[in-house]
Amino acid sequence: MNASGCERLALADLTDYAAGELPASEADAIEEHLFSCADCSARAAEFDALLRAIRPAVRSAEVGGFVTDDVLNRLAREGVRVRSFVVSPGAMVPCAVWDSDELLALRLRADFGGAGEVTMSQRVAGAEVVRATAPVAGGPHGELIYALPASWVRELPVVEVEVLLTTHEGGEDRPIASYTLLHGGSLQR
Amino acid sequence: MAMPETDATLDAVSDEGLARRIASGLPGSTDAEEAELYRRFAPRVRLYGRRHLRDEAAAEDLAQEVLLLTIERLHAGEVQKPEQIGSFILGASRMMAHGERRVARRREALAARFMPTAAETAPMSLASLDAPRVAACLRGLAERDRLVLLLTFYAEREAPRIADDLGVSPGAVRAIRHRAMARLRDCVLGEARS
Repeated sequence: MNASGCERLALADLTDYAAGELPASEADAIEEHLFSCADCSARAAEFDALLRAIRPAVRSAEVGGFVTDDVLNRLAREGVRVRSFVVSPGAMVPCAVWDSDELLALRLRADFGGAGEVTMSQRVAGAEVVRATAPVAGGPHGELIYALPASWVRELPVVEVEVLLTTHEGGEDRPIASYTLLHGGSLQR
Repeated sequence: MAMPETDATLDAVSDEGLARRIASGLPGSTDAEEAELYRRFAPRVRLYGRRHLRDEAAAEDLAQEVLLLTIERLHAGEVQKPEQIGSFILGASRMMAHGERRVARRREALAARFMPTAAETAPMSLASLDAPRVAACLRGLAERDRLVLLLTFYAEREAPRIADDLGVSPGAVRAIRHRAMARLRDCVLGEARS
């Protein structure tokens, strides 16, 4: 990334620094170097540009994937319109997005037991449309939150979406919970 | 005392040389040098501000305020050691971040002065970091990697909290974050360059 000579600051150093992960003495040393080394200027500019780009990308509601309440709360504070559906194991839940929604959040409740990772599969008319594996903290009263861009959900026809959570244990997949979403299409106010 | 460098293009002028050019020029006659100083140091001040103020907008404000102060001090002959301009800017960053002096009117004037210049002088490979491109690269990351990046740099959570949420150790969060940033960089900059 930086063709010039100094290799004092690697991407990992800048990442730790920006994340506030370093002891004060190490952070001070990075700052001293950062402001005095012209060679590292380009590397710092590139890293700064990356960090600055993350927020508008997430705020665009086009990222999706597993999130937590911390992420959803931040999105809400920034004015992103999130529609949430809480679903319990075995439930059949009517679900749709309105024309003003930007993100759909599925709150999948389950007993995760001792699972460290959970795979979610979403199937529409028998075909898998989403498959994602996420870490979970486990526990009997857990909840996984999966976010979908509303623009993507809007494209779905009126259809049933089967959601299955499994975990991989002892070389086998163990079902954790299943849910049925009765997608009602895109709604307009 | 070294003389100002006068025969080099701005890209090739050292930080010290740039500081000396600004210091030796009349206010209003060194716009190009001031823009170059901003281009070089604003990202570093933003990184500093993001870490210490924990707020993207405040970090942006800090970069503008610190660079304006630096330019004012250079013109006033109050930067004693132009060869240590980086140290001066770091000191100003520390002072202003700690004080958090924010004057709305001054900020607006700074934005009007610097923002167009900053956009024009962004490195080519970074100029096109638009939200759809970065969103696509974030979508392409593994779920765990993406979640750690979002919790760190969007929700601004610290490693112990993230570790609790994910059921992993803080050390593992750090390792995941390193990998995720490297993959995001490769994806974003790879696309930008292609």
